[in-house]
Amino acid sequence: MSATELLIELTLMPLVAFIVGMMMVLMMRRIAARLQRRVGPPFFQPLYDIVKLHSKRTQVSHGLIHDIGIVMAMGGYIAAETLLPVPGMNGIAEKGGIITLLYLMMIPSLGLALGVGQCANPNGSIGIARALTAMLAYDIPLVIVVFGVAYAAGTTNLIDIIATQQAGGFETWGVVEMPLLAIAGLVAMHASLGKQPFEIYIAPAEIATGPMVEMGGKYLGGLFVMQCFQLYTTSVLYVSLFLGGGTTWFDFLLKSFLVLAIPVSIAYLFPRYRTEDLLRLMWKWPVMLGLIGIAFVI
Amino acid sequence: MSSIKQIPVVETKRTNPLARVFDDLVRFCRSRSLFILHYCTGCGAIELPPAMTSRFDMERLGIQPMVSPRQADILLITGYVSIKTLKRVILTYEQMGSPKYVIGICSCTVNGGMYWQSYATAKKLDEYMPVDLYIAGCMPRPEAVITGLQQLMDRIHSGQANSWEDYYRNYDYYLGNQQKLFGENWQTPTDVITEAKHYDLLSEGTLGDHTRLLEQHQKPLEALDMRLGHELKEPRK
Amino acid sequence: MILTLLDELLLFSGVTLLVALTIGRGLAAGWMVTILYGGQLLALTKMAALGYEGGTIASSLSFEVMGQMLNWRFDALSWFFALITLGSALLSSWFSCGAWERDYIKQGGNIWLFHTAMALNVFTMLILLASGDLLSLFIGWELVSWAGFLLMALAGGVATKAAMRYITYAMAGGMAVFGGLALVYSASGSLQLEAVITAVEQISTTKLWLLVILFGGGFGIKMGLLPFHLWQAPAYAETPGPGSAFLGAISSRMGLFAILLVLVKLFGIVNIDNLKVPFTLIDARDLLAWLAVLTIILPTFTAMKQNDARHLLAWHGIGQGGYMLLGIVVADAMGGAGGLLHVFNHATYQAALFMAVTAVIYRTGTSDLNKLGGLVVRMPLSFMVLLIGIIGLAGLPPMNGFVSKWLVYRSLLNQGMPLLFLAAVIGTLGTILSVYKLIHNIFLGQLRVEHEHVAEAPWSMMIPMLILSAIIFITGLMPGIPLEWIASVLQTVGLPVPQYTLGGVESNSGSLDMIWVIGVLFAGFGIGAVIFYSAGRSKRVHQLDNYAGGHFLSADVRYQYSDNFYAGLMHLIGGWYRGSFLWLERSITSMIEFLSLGMQGLYRRANAEFYLLSTALFVIAWAVI
Repeated sequence: MSATELLIELTLMPLVAFIVGMMMVLMMRRIAARLQRRVGPPFFQPLYDIVKLHSKRTQVSHGLIHDIGIVMAMGGYIAAETLLPVPGMNGIAEKGGIITLLYLMMIPSLGLALGVGQCANPNGSIGIARALTAMLAYDIPLVIVVFGVAYAAGTTNLIDIIATQQAGGFETWGVVEMPLLAIAGLVAMHASLGKQPFEIYIAPAEIATGPMVEMGGKYLGGLFVMQCFQLYTTSVLYVSLFLGGGTTWFDFLLKSFLVLAIPVSIAYLFPRYRTEDLLRLMWKWPVMLGLIGIAFVI
Repeated sequence: MSSIKQIPVVETKRTNPLARVFDDLVRFCRSRSLFILHYCTGCGAIELPPAMTSRFDMERLGIQPMVSPRQADILLITGYVSIKTLKRVILTYEQMGSPKYVIGICSCTVNGGMYWQSYATAKKLDEYMPVDLYIAGCMPRPEAVITGLQQLMDRIHSGQANSWEDYYRNYDYYLGNQQKLFGENWQTPTDVITEAKHYDLLSEGTLGDHTRLLEQHQKPLEALDMRLGHELKEPRK
Repeated sequence: MILTLLDELLLFSGVTLLVALTIGRGLAAGWMVTILYGGQLLALTKMAALGYEGGTIASSLSFEVMGQMLNWRFDALSWFFALITLGSALLSSWFSCGAWERDYIKQGGNIWLFHTAMALNVFTMLILLASGDLLSLFIGWELVSWAGFLLMALAGGVATKAAMRYITYAMAGGMAVFGGLALVYSASGSLQLEAVITAVEQISTTKLWLLVILFGGGFGIKMGLLPFHLWQAPAYAETPGPGSAFLGAISSRMGLFAILLVLVKLFGIVNIDNLKVPFTLIDARDLLAWLAVLTIILPTFTAMKQNDARHLLAWHGIGQGGYMLLGIVVADAMGGAGGLLHVFNHATYQAALFMAVTAVIYRTGTSDLNKLGGLVVRMPLSFMVLLIGIIGLAGLPPMNGFVSKWLVYRSLLNQGMPLLFLAAVIGTLGTILSVYKLIHNIFLGQLRVEHEHVAEAPWSMMIPMLILSAIIFITGLMPGIPLEWIASVLQTVGLPVPQYTLGGVESNSGSLDMIWVIGVLFAGFGIGAVIFYSAGRSKRVHQLDNYAGGHFLSADVRYQYSDNFYAGLMHLIGGWYRGSFLWLERSITSMIEFLSLGMQGLYRRANAEFYLLSTALFVIAWAVI
């Protein structure tokens, strides 16, 4: 591959991720609205929100680290997208592999954690403490799942994992071969999205949206952008691990949206767990399923 | 004040057509994405849930509730404002990010309503902060609230809803009214005058007798700048 | 007699010790010693061929004791550890010169003793690293133990108590090693390395078991392996700042060095793998791996509960030792490289972290995490160093800790060890939680009124910290640099060597190229920055201009969340901290006390001749049997 082609891929991948991510945000809000028998926001609502937030006159900053935190939150995901293969574009997926991708996906939350820290608002700090606790909760089943898939495929290279699934057809999809891992992965993915009943760190009525409490204008806008990336990355990762990636853009997007629709539809039917209940739930069922699943794989 | 003595502002016309398109887009997005902070001071708050939920669904118009003042565009004051509450309302208003809009719901915000004899209630909200829109009624129905919000959206789109600038331009007036109510020591942890300078909105109404009074006892509020401080000769403990 | 390069190095080190001893009271002594450490490092770089090509350089010093040849030599393994030792000694010593030193003296510390103890530690460590047979290894081992005690006990009070605890453990470890030595000698008739390697092949399983337990336990004590970890955190934390940076960076790695030398090189991982635990499916190697993993998890979660920055870091030092052992025990190409690379990486970031915390103590007088906050605006460079350090410690890109942990993970994945893998990841997650608490409670949040006028740490402290940060980043960007040394170390100890490049490792089952990863990451940050900074000028506000539900904040009321930081997590796991190891330690102590009381009673009643007789009989009986 020539350098220009690679450069084009590296710019296109995050861009696509952002646009698809905005559509996913829209889908999420529409699903929420439908479940509550509302109409929901118009098609371009996510874009309106982001443009408006970036065009606010007041941009309240609590310091340089506050700014850098937002930059890291966006930048970490932009970088992570290039490690996530999509139909026709592999980016630099083979240079990192899935472990690196998982770690890169932690960078935005840690950048955000730093930024929130400097806001000197205890609501935000509590939110981050809870978010990190939630990460400890859902990453354990997630890691089991990733281990299982990577071990079964014999590689940590996402391109190879996808290629094996596509070569063998539907019977070799992760979800067919490793159904227990797929279920555990779905639960872990749901928790990683931070949606109800796992939204302990947003908790608007309790800690005033936690990390977002001092975020206004482009700071909040950056977090909205981050949310787009987050939805996209999580669902595409799931599709790559369990649903054979995508051969064409159509089935790729279809799968991604469908996968995301599952946790989102569940989310708006539930209130919120307490932190320790989230931990207890995450460390019990998905971990158990995942370990049994791994036992089958090995 | 905001409506009576609105100082006509000569807007610098952007000559670049692209810039005008851009400005228009920004105004459009601002009007179609409104985050409200409902400061539920009184009975009017009960009309907001129906406006948000399935019957009327504000999210159709891109209006969502938000939690902290930093995130919000609209400050909804839903009912009478007692003097104690007013202090918090003013702090909340000052912490919101511009462009910001204030909506007074219910008659109480217009003239004190049924509390007009009360010693502890602020009668007219627009003496203390510029109000963009009043939705009168006791209480207004959700339809009225939605209609009001739509009017505000139109005003934002057409660029008329800029009363937030008035707070900076005539800060002395608002501060005077606030001081009359809360006493001379009145001060919020925000720094409106520096902000006015930051937005280039400093005008003759910004500073005056009342701001001088404020400066006499104001605790310093400059942001803590990041510094290496090697040259400092502070005695350490 | 011609001096070999190793002789030069050891002589240089001895001279450093002498200089510290003789002129250590003057203020320039610190600088002098630092320069001498630099000289030692230069002498070491002259031996760089060891690190790149392998081979050995012997010392011309050797003599015979009781039929045993004692000799000293350097190979790639020693060179690698010596490099870390001298590097951290140089930078810690540099850190201690100037401002810190003056402050230390003002507070009544004995700077002469400090420099001497440091020089002695370095000297003894070099002797240990140079050991060419098991007897010289034992001598070096004891020397290092006592030198460490000297440095740990410096601060007096709590520190002496911790040091006493350490030396008790170390003595027990020394005894275990000595017992192992005796056993090896009885089996092979020699303590030379080559003789041991051949003897191990014929040795009986029971004896090998005993050897693994004795050596593993003895050396494990030094590296804080569970269940012998209790001494380490207080001992390291209470050492004067630069001393704890040095100890935290390298001291307990001496245990790992010895394990590498004896268990891996002499006994061979294969032999250890053949030792089955009766009635179970696991073997000695699994046992070691699980010990390593427990060493990762338990101390890490103990660290999370600490409220003192130094103690928090010291507990992490124990936990990170587990990754090194884990990688080495897995013993494939990736694991071995990961474990060894982590030794290097850990030294860099742990030293930087301890230094940053010391800088904070220097300026504010406390390391209590509940009494700090918001210092980033006053000490931005220290913040940066601490940030780089914690990213390394947590093992996240783009710092070097990520690479070594990645290698360990990969090896566990390749070998199909899901539970170990999971446990290692749990350790990492716990680390992330606790280091965020560290940086948040010191540097983020609300600045206290009494810290309004705090200044950045002086340059004499800042420069070593910045150098370490640069190393952390550069070796994260180009892990190929240390991997080259590690390749020859792996060859020396007989482990497989991974296929490495400048940016990471190549492998059929997924490779890593940090140059690409970091490049893309920073490009992403760049795009993020463009989006962010193109969207309107931000306005800085005072920290009291903050959301508090409409409440008016004032400087006299703290608006900061620091205590019981992970309250929700502790709701669930708080009850799991039972202090079982403390209980175990206490029960052993009281048992010994009880026994000694009983013996004392016996001793007072009976007469001395009877004791002499019975002891002699026991000794004869033991010797005969």
